Amino acid sequence: MCKNMPPIELAIQFHGHICPGLLMGVRAAEFAQKYLGVGQDYDEELLAVVETDACAVDAIQAILSCTFGKGNLIFKDYGKHVYTIASREQNKAVRIAQKYGALNGSEFERYRQLAAKDHLTDDEISEKEQLIGVLFEKIMTASFEELFDWREIPFEMPERARIHGSIRCDGCGEGVMEARAVHTDKGIFCSPCATE
Amino acid sequence: MCEANVYINRSGHEELLMEKVDRIIPGEDNNIFMENIFGERRVVQARIREMELVHHRVILEEISAEIKTPHAEIWLEPSTDHGHFHEGEEVKLKLYKGYNMSSDAELGLNNPGAYTVSEGVAKELDIHDHHGTAEINLGPELDGLIQVYVHEQGEQERYAKTVIEVGHHHHHGLTSIGLPLEITPCDYSHARMGESYEIQVLKEGNPLPNAEVRATYSSTNSRDYPHRLTTNEEGRAKIFLTARGNYLFSVQDGSIISTFTLMKSF
Repeated sequence: MCKNMPPIELAIQFHGHICPGLLMGVRAAEFAQKYLGVGQDYDEELLAVVETDACAVDAIQAILSCTFGKGNLIFKDYGKHVYTIASREQNKAVRIAQKYGALNGSEFERYRQLAAKDHLTDDEISEKEQLIGVLFEKIMTASFEELFDWREIPFEMPERARIHGSIRCDGCGEGVMEARAVHTDKGIFCSPCATE
Repeated sequence: MCEANVYINRSGHEELLMEKVDRIIPGEDNNIFMENIFGERRVVQARIREMELVHHRVILEEISAEIKTPHAEIWLEPSTDHGHFHEGEEVKLKLYKGYNMSSDAELGLNNPGAYTVSEGVAKELDIHDHHGTAEINLGPELDGLIQVYVHEQGEQERYAKTVIEVGHHHHHGLTSIGLPLEITPCDYSHARMGESYEIQVLKEGNPLPNAEVRATYSSTNSRDYPHRLTTNEEGRAKIFLTARGNYLFSVQDGSIISTFTLMKSF
């Protein structure tokens, strides 16, 4: 494996395909690195708070290494293309918000129409491929100001993610994280068993 | 004319493409964007053939009609999708014939010759059959930037060229190898997605202006070349790399077709 794979390759390999949303995430992640003077996270030095679960978040996970599993990716289901990236070492955080209408335009509209279709004709496959190329260039060559607003914000870094032990569920017998176990009069249950 | 019906001419037959169109914007790469009064939008690869303003008709001509009889070309593809080879790694190239990086085994190769060029000296390479595909094995002992080309003679003379990078940190400029028609990278370095890449077309060693250079990539699903570039006065053309996989550039001048495979790097 060669070192220094460019951010865009990291994002595409993680996400699996190229799409405008992913590229917006690439721009946001690269900007955050530059603004905060950081690279890729190793062990929760960085934290990302994302307000959407759309494609861009995969770029943030891949490029910044703020990941769901590591506990330094916090998802707030607001349906907004807003990403707050904080650095523990730099004691600094930047809130990056996609501008309303940043992805408007006839080509973006047509791309969305095609992306929403279950089946594409050969012509539509070619058309979609052409559009991705056009949109790719637009997103990656646009000034950051055209696409996003950003500001530095006060941010209190949370403690590093804890590792909890598991206990046995009295219902299914499977292990459940201690902090997530439901204690009842009938025993200790995992969440699905507790609601049955 | 308020709005018009847009038709497309396919093999001499007109087909209604979109009704009540009130906006037509020709774009790059022969794309035409259309929008009608119902808000429907469409992009097609075509050119405007005729506008009957009185009858509210716009007739497009399908560009893909051109590819039904494409000129076959030959091209080289490295055996890695990694962008370069590592020191000690066996360097293999596959030789294909077809169009738009889609090989057509039925076309057959007409006794092609393969060569590697170093400091102006060409050394012949062996081309052998490997499970029905022509392959060139350069061995595991290479290092640096190596230019390889294949020449197929005939009524249509075909050339295929590529630059192989073995090891890292070979960010040097490259000189042409002196083919009658040659595509050469302007400033060789790691070519990556999201960056511009410039090539130069040389004819007998001199820049060829106003030449159409077709560009495609190995991950394309299009039947025809997705990009068509035109060289400037210095014979140069630039493309923004937006796709995964290696890129292929192809140029034709008279009876010569010459290709250049760009190994895209990570």
